[in-house]
Amino acid sequence: MLTIKVLGPGCANCRKLEEIARQAVKSLNVRADIVEVTDMREIIDHDVLKTPGLVINGKLVSSGRIPTAEQIAGWIEAAG
Amino acid sequence: MDNVLHHLFPLLRGGTGNLAAYLAAHVLLCLLPAFFIAGAMAALIPKEIITRFLGRSTPGTVSYPAAAAAASLLAVCSCTIVPLFAGIYKKGAGIGPAMTFLFFAPAANILALVYTGGVIGPDLAVARLLLSLTFGIGIGLLMAIVFRTDDAARDRLTDTLFAGQREQGMSRAALTFLLAWVALLLIGTLKLGVLTGAHLRIEVPIAGTDAWQSILDRLVPYDAARGEEGLSVQGVALIGLLAAIGITAWRGLENVHEGVSPWTRTCLALIAATLLLAALSLQTTPEALRVGFTGRFFGVAIVLGALYALARYRLSEEELRSWLWESWRFVKQILPLLLVGVFVVGMIRVLIRPEWIEAIAGTNSIGGNLAGVAFGVFMYFPTLVEVPVAKMFLELGMHRGPLLAYLISDPELSLQSILIIAAIIGKAKTGTYVALVAVLSTVAGLSYGAWVDGTPVMSLALWLLAFIAAFAALLAAANRRSTSLSGV
Repeated sequence: MLTIKVLGPGCANCRKLEEIARQAVKSLNVRADIVEVTDMREIIDHDVLKTPGLVINGKLVSSGRIPTAEQIAGWIEAAG
Repeated sequence: MDNVLHHLFPLLRGGTGNLAAYLAAHVLLCLLPAFFIAGAMAALIPKEIITRFLGRSTPGTVSYPAAAAAASLLAVCSCTIVPLFAGIYKKGAGIGPAMTFLFFAPAANILALVYTGGVIGPDLAVARLLLSLTFGIGIGLLMAIVFRTDDAARDRLTDTLFAGQREQGMSRAALTFLLAWVALLLIGTLKLGVLTGAHLRIEVPIAGTDAWQSILDRLVPYDAARGEEGLSVQGVALIGLLAAIGITAWRGLENVHEGVSPWTRTCLALIAATLLLAALSLQTTPEALRVGFTGRFFGVAIVLGALYALARYRLSEEELRSWLWESWRFVKQILPLLLVGVFVVGMIRVLIRPEWIEAIAGTNSIGGNLAGVAFGVFMYFPTLVEVPVAKMFLELGMHRGPLLAYLISDPELSLQSILIIAAIIGKAKTGTYVALVAVLSTVAGLSYGAWVDGTPVMSLALWLLAFIAAFAALLAAANRRSTSLSGV
């Protein structure tokens, strides 16, 4: 079971990232928990300066940009 | 019922007229490139270029300018401002640079500056930039002095966020691309004879175009004295094209992450066509439509060609996609509210009498500047709407000094931003910040107003320096007394 965190205060880019992360999870057919983290303290604790950030199983894989579904799938496979 | 309609009709007509005039005159050659520039800044500038100078170990002479640069280059959107601000404050250079960043971000935002320059005048845009920079760094330094004991306590925390960043350059293609958009913006908005004069004229034999114009003049009255701009036949065509861009953008840019579709291409082609049409000079005569190819038209055409070549052959697919997405996101986020704002401003203008504005802020007095600031603090307008509001005040007789005081304080202080700041740095610091912004915006308005009234720049600069020094000494003294009283 994977835990994927989307870090961001709820802006348009964060919602977009969450949507793309869901697509990636669906395409790989894995079970994953997708959590939205909106609390600024928690976001800063992940050492993210520019949102949206993406954390897979506790590891920060991207921040400040929107990766493609294929990229996210690649990170998920590397983590699983 | 008839009575209500009788009062309502001029209001609605004022709103519609203002909206149509804005769309035709201001949105295109100024806002369209500005949105694409903002998108390119958000998508193509690697943030590490600047943020690695915001760490705890960086000396103040570097971190304050770096905070200002980060504010103008990286923080075009509020979802970027908050994490960067919290990061700089909690794990980086401390409260001083964090405050400089927070103050400067809305003021130096490329969209706000371009829009101010295009709608009100380049002098006010430059004044907004320079005075915000001076006071942004001033406020940062003052906050650092006032709260220096707190800052020293936080120094024991680690500095992992900024120190770990590697140097990463910006690709040359991305930089050229960004600069080409800036060139397009300048060619589109500068009022130089080479650009505005027509170098080639042709006559398209369509009879009766002047009749269209007279219908438009009746619908949207043209009265320069009252600041009503009117609407031309060209303007109507441009508004039609804008609507078409809106529809294709919705289909082509919303899902650009899945790849570039024919809708995307159509949308970009329409944007290019619109920019070219807006650069032409069209005149209606009884016999024909006179088309003048201005210097602006040729300039826009050349730059658009260069942009196409760069995007097609030099930028990577991913850079292109994230640039288009970021630009579209700014449009989606800002434009609807701006259009509503312009409409409402047009309605309100009908109601306000010039005598009122003139009595309150018609001259560059302290009271006038304070009134400007008070209005800015208590009214909250969505991003960029402060500009048409300011234009309305200017036309109703406000002095440019109080106008700048209003323009600086309005985006800095809104209830929303005050709440977010309070959650991160605490109520005492937020209160100090709000008070400082109010005082310094008034001073900024007074200084600029004095310049407009003819005071030399050098003596103004001296008075500004003296003021900041005196103010800092006063605050430091007040702080020492309060800490010794409370026994901390």
